[in-house]
Amino acid sequence: MSATLAIARREFGSLFRLPAGWIVLALFAFLTGVVFAVSGLTPGQPATMRGVFGVSTVLVILIAPAVSMRFLSEESRTGTMEVVLSSPVRNWQVALGKYGAGMAFVACMLVVMVVHAVVLRAVSEPRPDWGPIAAGLLSMLLLGSVCVSLGLLASSLTESQTLAFLGTVLALVCWVLATNVAPAYVPAWLGDALASASVNRRIDDFARGVVDTGHVVFFASVSGLLVFAASVSLGMRRWA
Amino acid sequence: MRGVSLELDRGEVVGLLGPNGAGKSSTIRVIAGVLEPHGGRVTIGGRDAVSDPVAARASLGYLPESAAVYSEMSVQGYLSHRAAVLGVPRRERRARVESSLERCRIGDVSRKRTGALSKGYRQRVALAGAIVHDPSVLVLDEPTNGLDPNQLRDARSLIADLAADRTVLICSHVLSEIERVCGRAVIIGGGRVLADAAVDSLRGTGGCVAEVRGVDRLAVEGATVETEPLGDGWVRLVIRGAGPDLRERSGAALASRGAVIRELRDETESLEDVFVRVLESAGDEGPGR
Repeated sequence: MSATLAIARREFGSLFRLPAGWIVLALFAFLTGVVFAVSGLTPGQPATMRGVFGVSTVLVILIAPAVSMRFLSEESRTGTMEVVLSSPVRNWQVALGKYGAGMAFVACMLVVMVVHAVVLRAVSEPRPDWGPIAAGLLSMLLLGSVCVSLGLLASSLTESQTLAFLGTVLALVCWVLATNVAPAYVPAWLGDALASASVNRRIDDFARGVVDTGHVVFFASVSGLLVFAASVSLGMRRWA
Repeated sequence: MRGVSLELDRGEVVGLLGPNGAGKSSTIRVIAGVLEPHGGRVTIGGRDAVSDPVAARASLGYLPESAAVYSEMSVQGYLSHRAAVLGVPRRERRARVESSLERCRIGDVSRKRTGALSKGYRQRVALAGAIVHDPSVLVLDEPTNGLDPNQLRDARSLIADLAADRTVLICSHVLSEIERVCGRAVIIGGGRVLADAAVDSLRGTGGCVAEVRGVDRLAVEGATVETEPLGDGWVRLVIRGAGPDLRERSGAALASRGAVIRELRDETESLEDVFVRVLESAGDEGPGR
């Protein structure tokens, strides 16, 4: 476990040893801050963070793959992958460590949103309802988890960070289209099956303050499956 | 690779040689656990590298050819990270990192970013990362790649120092380096072992050369002698034959004939000669990587 933590700590630290990590975080804070000021702090309007969560969903879908695109592709490109593979660690430990670093970065993004929530509570009368806010933060964490693990898998398949990023975003777009648009054009049984895998509908439930354990299990299962796939993909490098 | 079988004893320093595509790097990577063998087995300190890879790799230090390190980290940070990944207990990490810094002579750059270091220093940082957990087996792929003559000398002495208390397998295409550092050389070609013996025994004595006056012919038992006039009564005798005492026997034969000897020396093959000869006899290509 110590090796997994060491891998996570190094990967997380490297995000902030480069300007990119700080820039992405600052950009996230700025954009959500603007939306928060415009939609959440309007006098006479109910105190809510729905607008912030709306823009955050899009930002998480873009930022999480941008963070995770380098996790394994960079190791392959620079040659440090050989050092990793010769270390006394299992493939799943490497994948889990990288995933952990990505989730730590997503958590940093959530801290920004917690600051927004605290400000909203301080300036609003009546006080905002904490239920939808907490549920919204949980949904961002779960969505981030899926995006990070999908980015990790893409990063295990190519040495190019750009390809890993584009592949992840493309996969997410296809997923959204397949589960939200396609059901209207396919037989009902297939449409129902596709719609049940919709991310948007689950995020909408969270935004209303509904925390369905089924949704949590769904996001956790998909994330776990993707991290496992990344670990298998990493192991396949040893068979070359 | 086909039927490659190597056994390294504790404390042995072995050089792995071969032309391009011979299977050197594949062999090294399989031993280091980077690649899994399709067949056969690798054991490190008695632990099977396929069925128990984590335990096997724990006693192994590996320096890949690229000597890649995380360029955004400080030297000390990188070594601490490697120590944690390699399973060094937390309370021992600082001491192990200090020891690696000292052994690889990189203490003066310990706070610098590895990406800002010269190639030679980066190579030493990568080597420090490979020994930070004090492995009993060290596998080095082209450890002197890209080093200048001063760095080469340092690297050679460092490897000799490291070899004092561990088993070392070095893959290199710089035959002179193997000749200086390794006690044993393994030549592979076409994915199989073509030669495996002590470097001295591989080089052997191809014969000896004498420059003499007073004799123009010589008979040495078990050897052939070629004569080449040098002028002023001097001749060069090229004596080819087997046996470690050929020079002594030739000297005795010359003395019994009353020859004046101004030079009598062994004519040993260089490792490069051996390399070429072994590959030619195997129908392979010449030296290179």
